[in-house]
Amino acid sequence: MNNENNYHISFFKPTTDRAKYNRNMVIWLIGIWTVAIFGFHILLRVIEKPTPEPQLIAFNEVWENVKSNNASNDEIKTFANSALHVAGKVFINTEHRAALDNGISWATMQLADSSQKVALTSAIANFETATENAQAITDANYIQAKKELGALSIAVLGLNPDEVLAKILSLELRSSGIEKITDENISIIETCMPHYTIHNRSVLTDTKFLGFPFHYFYSAVFLLILFIGLCWLYCYRVDKYNEKIGIAD
Amino acid sequence: MNSIRKINMKKLILPLIMLGMPGLLNAATAATELEGGFKIGPAIILITILCVFVMVGVIFRAKDTTDFYAAGRSISRTGSGMAIASNWMSAASFLGMAALMYGSGYHGLAYVVGWTGGYVLLLILMAGQIRKYGKYTAADFIGDRYYSQSLRATGAIIAILISISYCVGQFAGIGLMFQWILGLDFTWSVIIGGAVVLTYTLISGMLGVTKNMQIQYIIIIVSFLIPLFILTFKFDYFWVLPQIGYGSVVSDITNGIPAASELMNSMGHEFAITASPEYSMPWDIATGKTFFQWMAIAFSLMIGTAGLPHVIQRFYVVPKASDARWSVVWGLFFICILYWSAPVYSAFGKILSASPEVGKLSKDAIVVYTAQLGNVHPLIVGLLAAGGVSAAFSTVSGLLVAGASAFSHDLYVKVINPEASPSKQLRMARLGTVLMAIIVTMIAMLKLALISQLVAVAFSLAGCTIFPLFLLGIWWSGSNRQGAIAGLIAGGFISLLSISYFVCDKMGISLPFSEFMTYYLGAWYFAWIGAPLAILVNILVSKITPETPIEIRKFLIEKVHS
Repeated sequence: MNNENNYHISFFKPTTDRAKYNRNMVIWLIGIWTVAIFGFHILLRVIEKPTPEPQLIAFNEVWENVKSNNASNDEIKTFANSALHVAGKVFINTEHRAALDNGISWATMQLADSSQKVALTSAIANFETATENAQAITDANYIQAKKELGALSIAVLGLNPDEVLAKILSLELRSSGIEKITDENISIIETCMPHYTIHNRSVLTDTKFLGFPFHYFYSAVFLLILFIGLCWLYCYRVDKYNEKIGIAD
Repeated sequence: MNSIRKINMKKLILPLIMLGMPGLLNAATAATELEGGFKIGPAIILITILCVFVMVGVIFRAKDTTDFYAAGRSISRTGSGMAIASNWMSAASFLGMAALMYGSGYHGLAYVVGWTGGYVLLLILMAGQIRKYGKYTAADFIGDRYYSQSLRATGAIIAILISISYCVGQFAGIGLMFQWILGLDFTWSVIIGGAVVLTYTLISGMLGVTKNMQIQYIIIIVSFLIPLFILTFKFDYFWVLPQIGYGSVVSDITNGIPAASELMNSMGHEFAITASPEYSMPWDIATGKTFFQWMAIAFSLMIGTAGLPHVIQRFYVVPKASDARWSVVWGLFFICILYWSAPVYSAFGKILSASPEVGKLSKDAIVVYTAQLGNVHPLIVGLLAAGGVSAAFSTVSGLLVAGASAFSHDLYVKVINPEASPSKQLRMARLGTVLMAIIVTMIAMLKLALISQLVAVAFSLAGCTIFPLFLLGIWWSGSNRQGAIAGLIAGGFISLLSISYFVCDKMGISLPFSEFMTYYLGAWYFAWIGAPLAILVNILVSKITPETPIEIRKFLIEKVHS
């Protein structure tokens, strides 16, 4: 050790048994760590398939007719349901929601008979006024106007009052959108429907584990357990080895 | 002595709590508003907690420089683990983590994985060796290992920049929670919060801070967990272990929940949601996030974790290298308790705020809003908000100490005035703390970005600069001063480039290749390329320049790797 050239430290070229032991352990642990994090996600990426929701399939079947104003009532209803489904999604963009609202309002009005049309137009206008004037959603006028609009509109679309779409329908209707779907909004609807309804799915996302989608459980729960396990293993083995060769910190 | 301290503490704390109780009970209902107004119950809880922090700081105050910087090297493994966790669990973890998943679904898990996986690197590559090196600060290590005063000063400046960037996010979190609880203006919330955290950091130094951190950890974790049990119980999920029970919540969001049950949120909306697979599916188009971003964020945060000066500095406060190692295991375990729990808030938050009538909620406060929307008792919501403040405080105190150490120890004592007396050093440390707090308060008041965004910048900066210097400095004696400087320049260049594009983008200034640069060198994840580049440049330049001096190599063999 008196030779100056002996004073070199390199992780990959250990000179003592202890350093070799440490290097091998670190390589193993980092290998497991890398495969567990990046390997799993590369696998997730490789096997995933863009999978459309049923609402998109239904939308695609009727959209051309809706767009060209040749749709039957059933087709308009299908369109309204699909659009409403997307408008109620958790990550909806404000501009996209406004375009969908235009589509939903127009479709609802198309499905209404003449007496319903008058009542709906008035109910939408009342609800908009009540929304403007309300200080909170507990405001009595607001609640009443919403209730009236809800009752009228869900009957027109044939929704079950207990389903989620029925609960949000009155909030999506706009008096500015009842006449027609604007060209700009047609273009936005075309773009945003697949945007929200195609998802990267695979066996890893569709398998359930402890109630979770498997991949979600893996990243949110299992990886953290693995990290603690790897750390514990390292400390335990280093202590054991140090004990074995009689080294104290 | 310790038991006397404990008794004294009880004598001081109990009357405060007793004084606060009637107010707490009478004012419980005042905390039900989602926004606005002064909420007296949560305010009393917050003030009580802050008083406890200051008193603990006073009781365990620093007596000399060793106490101030390294807590007298007397903290136990579990205690140090709790301090690591508390120091780590910032407003970004407590508030920002759920906010990220609330805002971007599965993409947010990249932060969970990144902020925990980095501890594996930290432990197996650095923790024990750093403790054996026996220095006070990150810059100390860099200056000694690379035998350069200019690198020491640069290291200190980087440590200060990282601390400031990290602190700004915390001050923003403090401002947000003070605003919610006290109904104060954001600016005043930041100023008051900053003044309190500065007061006890100044009084106590790291010894008091470490004791505080153990108490803070308990407050943080208890306040975070209680609402989870209540939420899972109320909404009929497996409540015994909410961290597992919420799996069904995630699946319910994916498949949709019909509005058939009688369960309601606090605004009277059914516990229902349309099928939203975009919440749980990986890199969903609807979230606007990609596979590349997921991987780059996870990697950058992991590298950054292993390079953060205030995290590295925690290893100096344990007596032995093995304690440093085990404190990481304990620290990670304590951190994971919070990280397993944070996604629960975002999942419940998504359903409880699904009705358009709830309106757009501030993502950074979604933890508190979720508890409110879930009809959790207002006092528990208040405790939760106080826990959020506590999380920010615990991190800020550690950051201020790290920044102050870099200022006084690495810049003033080692570069400017090596003859400074211990009392002068302590004065400079305190001056450094004050200066940092003032700068951070001023930047935080500008509201530049979200909490987690500001914090993530600090991680990438640490990953590009400090991490390569520590990694090569410990594991390869061939890495020399010239290599370190070149590597630092490379890492610094990538950092500067990314941050410049980010700032210009925020200011509406369009730079060439802006879209390409902001995507591939995003401010939250530029370390994915910056760190490997800095390591590569360091190795190449070291290979073609004179060898590391024999004394350094000897020291590495005989002390660090002995």
